[in-house]
Amino acid sequence: MSVIELRGLTKHYGGGRFPPHFPPWRRRERVRALTDLDLSVQQGEVFGFLGPNGAGKTTTIRLLLGFLHPSRGSGRVLGHDIRADSLAIRAATGYLPGGIALYDTLSGEQVLDYLARLYRRPTPLRAELVERLEMTRRTLRRPVRDYSRGMRQKIGIIQALQHDPELAILDEPTEGLDPLMQNAFYDLLEARRGSGRTIFFSSHVLSEVERVCDRVAIIRGGELVALSDITELLARRQRRVEMRFEGPPPRLDGVAGVSAIQLRDSLLTCRLEGDVGQFVAALRDVRVVDLTIEPARLEEAFLEFYADQAEVAGNGADDGDEPPAEPSLAAEVRS
Amino acid sequence: MNLAVFRHTVRQHWVRLVAVLIGLTVWGMLMPIIYATFGVTLRDVIRQYPLLEQFMQFGGGSMFTLPGSIALGYIHPIAIALLAVFAIAYPLSVVAGERQRGTLEVVLARPLSRHAYLVTLFVAATLFIVVSIAATLIGTAVATIAVDYSAELDFGNLPWLWLHGSALYVTIAAISFAASVSFDRVGPAAGITLAVVLISYFLQVLGSLWPDAEWLQPYSLFYYLNPEPVLLDGVQPVDLVVLGVIAIASIAYALFVFPRRDLAAPA
Repeated sequence: MSVIELRGLTKHYGGGRFPPHFPPWRRRERVRALTDLDLSVQQGEVFGFLGPNGAGKTTTIRLLLGFLHPSRGSGRVLGHDIRADSLAIRAATGYLPGGIALYDTLSGEQVLDYLARLYRRPTPLRAELVERLEMTRRTLRRPVRDYSRGMRQKIGIIQALQHDPELAILDEPTEGLDPLMQNAFYDLLEARRGSGRTIFFSSHVLSEVERVCDRVAIIRGGELVALSDITELLARRQRRVEMRFEGPPPRLDGVAGVSAIQLRDSLLTCRLEGDVGQFVAALRDVRVVDLTIEPARLEEAFLEFYADQAEVAGNGADDGDEPPAEPSLAAEVRS
Repeated sequence: MNLAVFRHTVRQHWVRLVAVLIGLTVWGMLMPIIYATFGVTLRDVIRQYPLLEQFMQFGGGSMFTLPGSIALGYIHPIAIALLAVFAIAYPLSVVAGERQRGTLEVVLARPLSRHAYLVTLFVAATLFIVVSIAATLIGTAVATIAVDYSAELDFGNLPWLWLHGSALYVTIAAISFAASVSFDRVGPAAGITLAVVLISYFLQVLGSLWPDAEWLQPYSLFYYLNPEPVLLDGVQPVDLVVLGVIAIASIAYALFVFPRRDLAAPA
């Protein structure tokens, strides 16, 4: 069952025809925040929605929740139309906005109570979330204005998940969390997936997406450039192989998926793509002393899509929600 | 109307409400006391100088009768500033302000329609305003009795004054909500609302001090709060109708625009 089903979803700002009397300073250039997005997210999936800042991730999320109105195209979330049934969608959804803002004068507990009351649903997961994210009762009774960024983020995660929503939409959920809390959060996602809940996870931190997501969509300049299983995506990547051996060298010419073979004394390096079975079979008669196959990384997959950063910037796909630069992704891709 | 939002907003603003109520009660008490202390003496002095007498009838009030003194207190900048806490600042902070801070999107991510949210906040603003006006009148009534000038005031008309005062400030609140839903930031919304109120006030004062400018007064919102005739003769239906039409038009605009606006991520 599709929890999210988007067809040709498009959001453009500004532009259009202006009457002659319309002053030039009020004529905005058309900004293509999102163009013809087709996407399907299945129940029980942890779905990664990736892209640099300004790629259109937040615009997509805001369209799903009814904050923005689509320019064209259609979408259904949990069977409800995003234009007509926004309330029904939000009733069954938990949302963590990027860089969440909370009521500073209230305590963490009061914030959670208030936001829970607006759902008119019980909060069966609150205690578990509070415990796993190590928010003590004392901390929860302090005013939010005294909280660190990480603590605010924890409150954000709890408010999004405490009512056990059918779909959780999380925008950059680990921002501000320390590594221990990030691990605790990943465990929470695992538990949600185990309960058949669906997670729509927007991020530009590739390592966490690789770790927790089943499938990933990559968006660039407001357009979908890839949609794939993580394992499939990684399987298509070339892995670097380094092997030390004794005796005659293995015959790898013609072995499926093996390329760039280099032999120097007893050290062989090559590239390996796809199924490793034939490669291993080819080593049957070789005395292997040491063998290293570096795992494929999502970063490398991204390199293809984001290699030409100048082109991305040139597309001008800034939705106005986010700054156009993309330092985090660029840095991670380079690393 | 959403009870959770209503309770939340009342809890968020109760300290402000108490402060304003105390301020307006004290202010309401001052007018009869000042009239009792200085009014009669001042009247005898000032009536020798016609220009000064005109000046003392500032904004439709006067220092020479108790109803006139009360009227003067009603349209005094101090009273307006205190009531502006809920007629201007509150609508700006709970829509454009929350939008700017980013808390609005956390609330609207819940199954809460923008209509319901706005109506709830408007009801809360109305409640704050009517309670504040009532506090002023209670202060006035108590002080009038205390200084023993009850014979000069028809207490039966005080509820009408409460109604007229509430109508004016609820109308200003409606205009403020209309501006607040139109912008993502407080600055432009506050600019428009304050411009409407300050120009209105200026036109009313100018018309009351300068007979040649009297024709400008009907363009002022404050023209439709005329406390002295209300205290003397009771309800002024035309004034209520004009304010009602402006309030309904403003809130209808807000209810039309707010759900149709794109709420982009806060900057």
